[in-house]
Amino acid sequence: MVTLTQLLQKKFGYSSFRKGQQEIIEDLLRGYDVLAMLPTGGGKSLCYQLPAYLLPGSVLIISPLVSLMEDQVRQLRERGEKRAIAFNSFLETREKWRALEQLDQFRFIYVSPEMLQSERLLIALTNTPISLFVVDEAHCISQWGYDFRPDFLKLGEIRRQLGSPPCLALTATAPPEVMNDIIDILQLSPLRCHIHSVDRPNIAIKVEKLSSLSEKVDRLLDYVKRLQGPGIIYFSSRQWTETMARQLQQEGIERVAYYHAGMDAEQRMLVQQQFLRGQLDIVCCTAAFGMGVNKENIRFVLHFHMPGQMEAYLQEIGRAGRDGEKSIAILLYTNGDDGMIQSLMEAELPDDAQVKQLCENLLYGASRDDVEQYMDMCLFTDVQKRIFTYFLEKEGVFSSNRPLAKQEIDRLYGKVTKNIELRRQWKRKKLKEMEKWIFRRSCRREAIVQAFGQTLTDKPEQCCDCCGLSLDGYLRTNEEKHPTRFLGWRVELQRIFF
Amino acid sequence: MKDGYAAFLLSFCLHRFNGERSLAAVYHLFSGKKSAQTLQDSKWFQLAPFFGVWKDITFSEIEAAAQSLFENGLIVPVQNRAYILTEKGKRWLDEQLQRTFFPTHLNGWRYHDLEKWFWYRLSLLVQTLSNLLHHTSFEPIHRHEKTLMWVKRYLLSQRRTVRTLAETLYGELYRLLDDVSEEEATVFTLRLTSYARIGWTNEQIASYLQKDRVCVQFQFQNVLHYMMASAEADRSSILYELMHGLSLPIPLTLSAQKTYEWLLRGKPLGEIARLRRLKRSTIEDHVVEIAANIPQFSIAPFVHEKKAAKIIETARKLKTRKLKRIRDAIGDDVSYFEIRLVLAKEGEMW
Ligand SMILES: [Zn+2]
Repeated sequence: MVTLTQLLQKKFGYSSFRKGQQEIIEDLLRGYDVLAMLPTGGGKSLCYQLPAYLLPGSVLIISPLVSLMEDQVRQLRERGEKRAIAFNSFLETREKWRALEQLDQFRFIYVSPEMLQSERLLIALTNTPISLFVVDEAHCISQWGYDFRPDFLKLGEIRRQLGSPPCLALTATAPPEVMNDIIDILQLSPLRCHIHSVDRPNIAIKVEKLSSLSEKVDRLLDYVKRLQGPGIIYFSSRQWTETMARQLQQEGIERVAYYHAGMDAEQRMLVQQQFLRGQLDIVCCTAAFGMGVNKENIRFVLHFHMPGQMEAYLQEIGRAGRDGEKSIAILLYTNGDDGMIQSLMEAELPDDAQVKQLCENLLYGASRDDVEQYMDMCLFTDVQKRIFTYFLEKEGVFSSNRPLAKQEIDRLYGKVTKNIELRRQWKRKKLKEMEKWIFRRSCRREAIVQAFGQTLTDKPEQCCDCCGLSLDGYLRTNEEKHPTRFLGWRVELQRIFF
Repeated sequence: MKDGYAAFLLSFCLHRFNGERSLAAVYHLFSGKKSAQTLQDSKWFQLAPFFGVWKDITFSEIEAAAQSLFENGLIVPVQNRAYILTEKGKRWLDEQLQRTFFPTHLNGWRYHDLEKWFWYRLSLLVQTLSNLLHHTSFEPIHRHEKTLMWVKRYLLSQRRTVRTLAETLYGELYRLLDDVSEEEATVFTLRLTSYARIGWTNEQIASYLQKDRVCVQFQFQNVLHYMMASAEADRSSILYELMHGLSLPIPLTLSAQKTYEWLLRGKPLGEIARLRRLKRSTIEDHVVEIAANIPQFSIAPFVHEKKAAKIIETARKLKTRKLKRIRDAIGDDVSYFEIRLVLAKEGEMW
């Protein structure tokens, strides 16, 4: 019999496992459900790709990140694994549907959660022996997670429909309450947890309070000029990313661009790939940037605006220093930031007038289509739609398929308002936590780790501003010049093809 | 001037609209709204090249450009949020037309739906070939599944070697880029992604060339439309193959298309209205739309030839397309429907 290490060498070309991988794989092979919290870039995918060669049936992977899913399938194919397929919303080619008829031929089946709404796909999956049910980015299952996706809630039920195969739930950052949700909803049992420390010792943490916005802008410019790149700067709004990217350029920092979800797909991809390939040093972005950006050598992450909660903060600073080299995370704060973030976060919740109007419309029909139309009429944002649809679904509104009666609507309105209030309170609580962390005077690293229910065993030498921190090691040492080497279109065109 | 190139394009459109359409019409034109009104307008006012060429423009961008033109005394408001050019404005526009880049190859009417997919295929093919030739691995610059599949199949179906294919494509691109201005060729080449360089965004190119971003965007589109037009004329080219299966749009609203299908089956208007449970006036709107957009559609069954001639004559004489003025001049025996139909069919009369 081959050992796991031999198989690893043979199929993946690695001579040894990374931290935690082998233990997870062994537990899965023993038939346990596993909840694994591994740092991003810590080799999560190997934990289910390797067992696939030892298990009799297919491995089903549910992932919300369509681009990551595509990358994985491509990488598998490059490694000579032809039996991999990805189903996601923009894959409607005929071959994909034909593949459904012989789904059991595939060793790896990647599916986006919204695709699981497809009856055809579900039936095909039910007829396919599934040996392992993998949920990637499992924190999306919790409505308390910073990236809640209602589609994930059905995964528990779907897993049952597929005969409850062993389940691997993967996440990079989940505080205890989110982990409990994952375990509950996916019904993980018997369960083994593999929780890697959330601490990233090679990332130094600094918070800096400034007395005015203009001081903050100056400070940012100063840091960007002095810090060793490449780096990411997070802002709370699209407008800010554009404004600051332009200002940085005016200050003579050339290789900078902005990135936010309002740009078209091509421009976003260009910026992302330029950054990966080292054509850009700095990206000014909203939280939309980073998912799926696997760049090893990011040296700093700056927060011009604070995120609304610790999980998001940790996820964002975690993009620095994947190569293990020392990196720094700096958060700039001015009085009033928290108020602004709070109103931004609460704008994600539907307001009372919208809720009232929507509920009244339910008198005329309550199918999913009707509701979607009403939501457009009431100017719901995408996030609002997501939350609201989830709520109505939970209340069984869509299954009624007839207009609601006045009484029912009043009751529903009461429930919705209460639910929204609950969310508002919860968001405020998370923001308060974040704020408390900003104003804290003892070790910041310790506090982060505690927020995730863990304890800190070792403090790195360069820990945080509270423990004492020197910027010296993070500053640019040599002035790198990157002259634009464009010698006219004729030369460039020739270079492309010859 | 602030909003430079956008303001220039806006003034061009306002000049063509001649105070008869509001800013919203410009917005619908650029964003390519498929309503009967916008489709008709773009032909009538000879603005079809601009139809749907700036899909993500916002109304406030147009308002800002209008504000800037107004502040410089180049336009003045008439009624209903419409503007006309002042004398100064007309002189300025003339000057700009001499001096600034103008997208002469632009054909939004024909290519507004295709350009994106054509560009996706072309740029992905270039990226793939460049990396194959240099034995480098790469991440596709587009994630659009259909494009990925198409390029893959295209390469697999080749009888030419990668080398030959690359040389041929290089030759085609070189020839076409040589036809356009140096600056346009530069913009286009910088947008391309190769083994050595990820393509630049319009904004990056604009700051490198110290130009207006909107101008760069239109220079790029101008080259792209020129390439598509040349491709259509040369069926042996790679560029022509890149257009394969990309369907040219039928410039009709969906509802008008249905009506058109019924008309082709010989149903009279009243019955179509009944069958489709629409008002007769709605069906008439459709007929007008069809007349404006389908050259082979005859309006003879709906308007007597003599009447039609009279309408055209009156419209020419009065230099207007205002229905009421034409009807007042001719008299009660012509209906508004007949006037609209004739005007739509005649399209660009002067
Ligand atoms: Zn510390």
